[in-house]
Amino acid sequence: MSVVTLQESRSSGERYRAAFDARWPATDALIELRRAALERFVAAGFPTQRQEDWKYTNLRRLEARTFAPATSAAVAVGGWIANAGTRIVLVNGHWMPALSSIEAQLPGMTLLTLKQWFEKDPAAVATFIAQTSRARPSALEDLNLAFFEDGVVLDLAAGATPDQPIYIVHQWSDGSAQVMSNPRVVVRAGANSRCVVIEHFVGANAGECFTNAVCEIDVAAGASVEHYRIQQESLRSFHIGHVNVRLQQNGRYASHDIALGASLARVNLSTTLQGPGAHVALNGLIAPLGTQHLDAHTSIDHAAPHTTSDENYRGIAGERGRGVFNGKVIVRPDAQKTDARQSSRNLLLTPGAEIDTKPELEIYANDVKCSHGATTGRLDAAALFYLRSRGLDEADARALLIRAFAESIVTSIGPAAVRGYLEQLLDERYKVIS
Amino acid sequence: MSMLKIDNLHVRAGDKQVLTGLSLEVAAGEVHAIMGPNGSGKSTLVQVLAGREGYEVTAGSVSYQGRDLLALPPEERAREGVFLAFQYPVEIPGVNNVYLLKAGLNAMRKHRGLPELDAFEFLALVRDKMKLMHMDESFLNRGVNEGFSGGEKKRNEILQMSVLEPTLALLDETDSGLDIDALRVVANGVNSLRRADRAIVMVTHYQRLLDYIEPDSVHVLSGGRILKSGDKSLALELEKRGYDWVRQEAAVA
Repeated sequence: MSVVTLQESRSSGERYRAAFDARWPATDALIELRRAALERFVAAGFPTQRQEDWKYTNLRRLEARTFAPATSAAVAVGGWIANAGTRIVLVNGHWMPALSSIEAQLPGMTLLTLKQWFEKDPAAVATFIAQTSRARPSALEDLNLAFFEDGVVLDLAAGATPDQPIYIVHQWSDGSAQVMSNPRVVVRAGANSRCVVIEHFVGANAGECFTNAVCEIDVAAGASVEHYRIQQESLRSFHIGHVNVRLQQNGRYASHDIALGASLARVNLSTTLQGPGAHVALNGLIAPLGTQHLDAHTSIDHAAPHTTSDENYRGIAGERGRGVFNGKVIVRPDAQKTDARQSSRNLLLTPGAEIDTKPELEIYANDVKCSHGATTGRLDAAALFYLRSRGLDEADARALLIRAFAESIVTSIGPAAVRGYLEQLLDERYKVIS
Repeated sequence: MSMLKIDNLHVRAGDKQVLTGLSLEVAAGEVHAIMGPNGSGKSTLVQVLAGREGYEVTAGSVSYQGRDLLALPPEERAREGVFLAFQYPVEIPGVNNVYLLKAGLNAMRKHRGLPELDAFEFLALVRDKMKLMHMDESFLNRGVNEGFSGGEKKRNEILQMSVLEPTLALLDETDSGLDIDALRVVANGVNSLRRADRAIVMVTHYQRLLDYIEPDSVHVLSGGRILKSGDKSLALELEKRGYDWVRQEAAVA
């Protein structure tokens, strides 16, 4: 029996434990934190479809493989969003200073990579990580904690309003395979500060890789964070994203979550509105093609009175693609005068495509306004005929209607560079004539 | 030679035989009005001519400029100069009005071997046509028919028609839902398109439209067939006497 077979016969927990021991020396300053996270991950294991939250997404394929921690590699410059802002490039989860423009520190803003900071002050990083990670991380968040190598820390002073977005590129190098990256992005927006953070996951020419990305965002009183997450990884890769957002009084958070890449992707986006007047807007597009499986799980926890949320997700599934949207909204007993709106609209382009959409409302307060609506349908035959009767051929008319369906998500995008980039991606994806 | 020759057309929609042997000839330069009671098959006729799916032609033929019209997909018919002004124009949020107009016009031009218009040439053209239809420029950047009132939708149809300059225009109850001022604007738009090389077929319930757009021929469609044809005086007679006498006459004959 070969060594490989022997390895594969072990449980995933044992395999990741072996990978852990190979990666981290006992002297690593974060070893206790990492070890505790690893053991929690091993005990819990990968989520299974028996768990309600994972009903529609099967991770067996991911669990069956072993991914070693990725090392950095050279990549060609480009393929990124032009003029998107201050750029930070992580290749295979490692910061690449030569590709980044991080040196240009903006007023009121401290931008660091985790590794840089760690080299200067490991104890501070250990304290920081413990403080900024969730009280009860999920198994895969623990996996990130056990293995994270690098990431980005963005601190905004009170009132800071950097005049350009922070553009974080998570790039897989060409040909990478059987490796994992566990990047962490931490954003702490001080009182009344404003910022735009763009996370861009790319690497179309990578093989079977596993991204397990954590993003922690704290929005202080009166602060505003606009967060873009554009996922365009290789069609062979696995992508798990965890975004955790906490908002204080009158804080605002807007998310634009665009899922186009990966073989299997799942994003858990959790927001907690902890202060009155806090507002979240979640916009998302899930667009599986081929045999892609793209899953968006959102949670909006109204934990304070007078909080509002507005959620708008669109799904477009073609070929044999499968999309999942689960929108949980919790209104705590004290969160009176909550106003929560949710809309999930889905378009199936082929008989083989599928989208599962599920609103999940838990309302414990009585003086609230909550609305939700979910639709799933095919392209409107009347609209298709109307366009063709004006001379557009069928393929162009279909493409135009598909693009129109995504339009409310596209127009919700603020930065022109990002909007233009996405428009072009969608035009190519659905072959729209110009 | 007729531009449009419909011969013994039989059409079924689902289980229902809607057209039962309809014949009609329209020559270039002519305006024809088709009138008839509800459910007589008027809308089916123009939709079948424009290529709407969901209808089954069980017998008969339609020749347009010597070609078998029914063999062409809807976009081919449009590019060959057939235009349908919809009774219920479709709202398409997310598709820009001006984008659709330009894409449509350039598809026609390409088909005819003409160069495509650039954005400037196109806008100049559209602005002229919009004045004629008393339309505000803000219409251009709205979604196709999105949130338009009934009258705005009908005006938009005629605007599209004047931009696309069809050879055969089919107007499906373009007058319905219009107040008298809007009706005048729409009728002016249609009249401005009357030309010796263009034919117009109007489907309408009311004689009122024919006060503004004077037809060369009027046909009564009932039970899926043309029962009677005449000049514009037939419309006045229908207005006075209703349709029953036509049906009785046809039954006797």
